[in-house]
Amino acid sequence: MLTQVIINGLLKGGLYALMAMGMSMIWGVMNIINIAHGSFIMLGAYITYWLFVGFGMDPFVSLPLSMAVIFLLGWLIQKYLINLVVQADIFITLLLTFGIELLINNLALVFWTADVRKVQVGYGAANFQFLGATVPYVRLAAFIMALLISAILFQLMNRSRVGRAIRATSQELDAAKLSGVRVGNIYASTFAIGTSLAAAAGTLWAILFPISPTMGGILTLKSFVVTIIGGLGTMLGPLVGGLILGIAEALGTNWFGSTYENLISFVIFLVVLIFMPRGILGSRR
Amino acid sequence: MTEQQKAILVGKALTKQFKGLIANDQVDFTLNKGEILGLIGPNGAGKTTLVNMISGSLSITSGDVLFKGKSIKGLKPYQIGRLGIARTYQIVKPFARMTVLENIAVGAMFGRQTKKQGVRRALDMAGQIVSFVGLEKLKNQQADQLSVASRKRLEIAKTLAMNPEVVLFDEVMSGLNSNEIDAAVVLIHQIRDQGISIIVIEHVMRAIKAISDRLFVLHHGEKIAEGPPADVLNNKEVIQAYLGKRYQQAAIP
Amino acid sequence: MGIAVVAVAAALPFILNNFTLRTATDILIFAILASSWNIIGGYTGYASFGNIVFFGLGAYTTAICMTTLGLGFFPSMVLGGLLSGMYGYLVGLPILRLKGHYFAIATLGLAEATKALVQNLNITEGNSGMYLPIPDFSIDASYRFFYFTSLGVLLIMLLATHFILKSKFGYGLIAIREDEDAADSIGINTTLFKSAAFGLSGFFSGFAGAIYAYQQGFIKPEPVFAVTSTVKMIVMAVFGGIGSLWGPTIGAITIELITTYLRDYFLVIHTLFFGSIIILAILFAPKGIYDIFTGRKKLGIVYFLDNIRKNRV
Repeated sequence: MLTQVIINGLLKGGLYALMAMGMSMIWGVMNIINIAHGSFIMLGAYITYWLFVGFGMDPFVSLPLSMAVIFLLGWLIQKYLINLVVQADIFITLLLTFGIELLINNLALVFWTADVRKVQVGYGAANFQFLGATVPYVRLAAFIMALLISAILFQLMNRSRVGRAIRATSQELDAAKLSGVRVGNIYASTFAIGTSLAAAAGTLWAILFPISPTMGGILTLKSFVVTIIGGLGTMLGPLVGGLILGIAEALGTNWFGSTYENLISFVIFLVVLIFMPRGILGSRR
Repeated sequence: MTEQQKAILVGKALTKQFKGLIANDQVDFTLNKGEILGLIGPNGAGKTTLVNMISGSLSITSGDVLFKGKSIKGLKPYQIGRLGIARTYQIVKPFARMTVLENIAVGAMFGRQTKKQGVRRALDMAGQIVSFVGLEKLKNQQADQLSVASRKRLEIAKTLAMNPEVVLFDEVMSGLNSNEIDAAVVLIHQIRDQGISIIVIEHVMRAIKAISDRLFVLHHGEKIAEGPPADVLNNKEVIQAYLGKRYQQAAIP
Repeated sequence: MGIAVVAVAAALPFILNNFTLRTATDILIFAILASSWNIIGGYTGYASFGNIVFFGLGAYTTAICMTTLGLGFFPSMVLGGLLSGMYGYLVGLPILRLKGHYFAIATLGLAEATKALVQNLNITEGNSGMYLPIPDFSIDASYRFFYFTSLGVLLIMLLATHFILKSKFGYGLIAIREDEDAADSIGINTTLFKSAAFGLSGFFSGFAGAIYAYQQGFIKPEPVFAVTSTVKMIVMAVFGGIGSLWGPTIGAITIELITTYLRDYFLVIHTLFFGSIIILAILFAPKGIYDIFTGRKKLGIVYFLDNIRKNRV
């Protein structure tokens, strides 16, 4: 029984990790807290849904598509909107991303209505037994996908030119500018990568859970929790944070009841913020 | 007066250690009542760290600071300020969107209170201090519109408003031109004449020589000399610290 | 001038119909929230994104006091304010050690955590919601009652804030906002001051929640702890001018009037309005419209473009 709970938590944690990765990156590199983060998760989920319902496209196949579309959207938003206020007071950028969230969510409500929807893949119920626990294949697949994407991101940040430029910009803005880095474009690329990661998480989420235009809000908050637990400034942070949150929620709801899920997350959040604001692996910021 | 009655601020074996780095190592110093003690040393010697420990901004790893014979180790910055020790910051910290007068008044409101200091009284007191430091004409200007020299004066004025017995001046002359430095020297002497004891961190050599009654020198976090300026500035180790071994041999007495 | 405004405000209930009066009351409630936020966000410089928590606590305290304890409205409202204020002060002590972003999201977490708590307690009926006793007035009288109560709370609050600003406490808060290290060194007990500001902000917001609860007659966790509302009050404060006494109230009136107008005539646009207005306001006038009217040297398009130029990357 306990094994089942822990495995459930682990699998969900992997998804949380992917969700938070985009937010952590944007925050770590540009010091921007993207309140609209959940909206991009939601958009990724809906792209997958409509491709599934309209063209019968399998969600795993539509994953790169949803990432690409949201990459473009994110790039445009950063370059032509957020870049305009990047140097202002912190809470100005917070308010701006909040405005973006409201806009995207309300547009989604207008076009897609508030109905809850579900991507019902044929293989959704298939599962196997592991250490006495029942593991649905889709959950495992989503977990593996999440780790895979994280690994690709890691390679991207460490090996590619874009990745190095992003890391340089985050560490030393002025030096980066002097080296000829087009900061505006770097910021746009960073934001775009962050939002496409959110979209990927959204696609995976759609496979496992129901979706609605307002699903993003709580996911943004959970991403905060994961980011804070793991700490800013490292790629591993969200991974550690995600797994911890997943397991903590699973154990907590098992002991206290499912309605306690959010309470557990936010209490952990506050405790970590107050006693360990840098998180477990966090650095400077 | 006995040795003990003369000393108003005493540091004993003050040590500050950050994770791997020891910024101050067993530093002893004595500030006597009514004197100006110059604190010098090359960049990175640990001068500001020492001031931060005295003022409570940084915790003391080991050692102690005694103010009028009583330990102030572990007190919060605001408590130390209220006891009568005021400090300036190397990179000045004005309250940008308040006027010069208001900036100074805040010092009077929250510093050492010898009698009840309401807002009205504080503003009056600020009016006197603003003239004392020569910022009378700018008293209604918003602090963020001042020149560098004026900001330094404001920084000093804020400490005076706190009615202190000891002030710690951290490079109040950096960024000033020759005339402004002379004026600052005069001001600091006037402050000392009011009975306030002063520690001055400074890099401008001629200023330090002009105002200090005694000097003490930090290098790599350790005290390497303490005494009258003439002695200290001719001290072999001090010269070596600033200029390197080769110049030490060529030093002019 | 202030007296004229108050006189007009007092006369309104006798001119307007009930429906409009209700809108006016809602505006007043938002004005209270925006002005309360201003105490911690505008004057002290700690932008809280979770002030809605005080609204919710005020609402629930009132509900519990009136139903379970059988108290009257006014005592309940006061208790609501006191509880919210205390909560703000106590939670403020650890949370206000965080700065900038961290503080902002900590307050978000606080609001969410408190909501989750309320959803799981028995005394608050969990997620089912709570009913409050129905006011014992005639319809007209009850509309007026809520209007005047809100107006009264707002005016008392603004008066209190006005005096605070001229007091040592006020100077202390602004010093903290301008430079907290310097404030520490100059003798200000910043921990105490900040927490007191947060508590004060909570105190008045609690009153707003109390009025809302009694007016609605029924409350559930989700609406009274909605984060969107915190942002609404921040936008109102920013739009009207943070750090000024009447700014948030002006912002509340403006934004709410526009929102209501749009809701009545352009329903679809209305939902998009709020997001758009935030974006536009942030881009072009981060210091608020109050700033626009009080002594800007440059006006017009130059002012707006200048704001963008200063802030872009």
